[in-house]
Amino acid sequence: MTMNCEQYRQAIMEDPSFDDSGAHLSSCTSCEAFRVEIESLDRKIGKALAIEVPELVMPELPAVESDNVVVLPVKRRVKAPAWFAIAATVVLAAMIGVRMIGNDIEYASLADEIVAHLDHEPYALRVTDDPISDRRLRSVVPADVAEFNRSAGLITYAQSCWINGHKVPHLVIQGAHGPVTVLLLPDEKLLEAVPLTGENINGVILPVGDGSIAIIGVREERLDSIQKQVVSSLTWGV
Amino acid sequence: MNSSSTTPERRQRFDSIVGAFYPDMFRYAAWLARDRTIAEDVVQEAMLRAWKSLDALREDAAAKQWLLTIVRRENARYFERKRLETVDIDNLTAAQSAMLAEQPDDEVQELRKAIYELDDDYREPLILQVLMGYSTNEIAEIMGLKQGAVLTRLHRARLKLKESVDNEA
Repeated sequence: MTMNCEQYRQAIMEDPSFDDSGAHLSSCTSCEAFRVEIESLDRKIGKALAIEVPELVMPELPAVESDNVVVLPVKRRVKAPAWFAIAATVVLAAMIGVRMIGNDIEYASLADEIVAHLDHEPYALRVTDDPISDRRLRSVVPADVAEFNRSAGLITYAQSCWINGHKVPHLVIQGAHGPVTVLLLPDEKLLEAVPLTGENINGVILPVGDGSIAIIGVREERLDSIQKQVVSSLTWGV
Repeated sequence: MNSSSTTPERRQRFDSIVGAFYPDMFRYAAWLARDRTIAEDVVQEAMLRAWKSLDALREDAAAKQWLLTIVRRENARYFERKRLETVDIDNLTAAQSAMLAEQPDDEVQELRKAIYELDDDYREPLILQVLMGYSTNEIAEIMGLKQGAVLTRLHRARLKLKESVDNEA
């Protein structure tokens, strides 16, 4: 049984390559014209969809299961003085309307989310002397967010990451005792620095201009000099 | 060091499949998001995810669908993360203008605009069929739909685009 015109046109509209071996078209010139029209439309749709593609830029690919990854403790707790915890909570809630939701996990504080984030990307903490490219740095730290020059140290990792609902630059520079994580947080206004200490980390969330920076290294790392270098290397975008 | 997962061959394999299908990945992401800038981010994230799970791809012949499925998931993740944020109308306009960059052919330009304005549900199967060359069965698999639903969406998408072209004529 051959299709009627309505069935045939329905099939062509669903898939212009539909082929009933000419059974319907052999007796219907109007449907043949319809088919030609839809095939022509599809060629134009194909042209319209074929938008220009930018040059391929490969991301910095992490070493998979590399043995020079510094694995941070899984159950690391952030330890800060009690007064600081209260103050930090009040400051964060009051100043930045903290949402603290990332990947459907609710964090008690910005500090908690940052520390958890380090555990999510342990491959970032490679001991290496391979710098990332200028292009990669510009891609992760676009000019409207900040300018970050290389005087901060050897930058070996850069990735855009989500912290507290904002996409932020996540950088790693090589410190004296190992990789140091630097998160640029232009949307996080703090009144005071928030120290981050733990079993194997030493860090701080530092207010800088209208935003802040998180800097986290291993416990032995002296962060004061790195802080100065990082701050002097940074200019927030407008 | 795990030699099986960090060998030059692994990197070569990755470069080969991504190099071959990057234009498809970008165009798919761009039409899903209707924004070139978001598409660039989505594709970067998708490439990272593909790199980490490359060993899960058993046959390179299946690479295209594998990569597009990753792009689709990354796009969904992107908008899931963005769902609580307000939509900036200016950005939308800028994104629109970038997507609808001038075409020498007026008819194709009008069609691009009409595709841009299609509902997501209609636009996606059309991209997969016309641009990526998938059968309706494969589209159903990628989108997690029944084939009948895919056929209905494709029919409606073409009907809307045909009306748009007819109105312009």
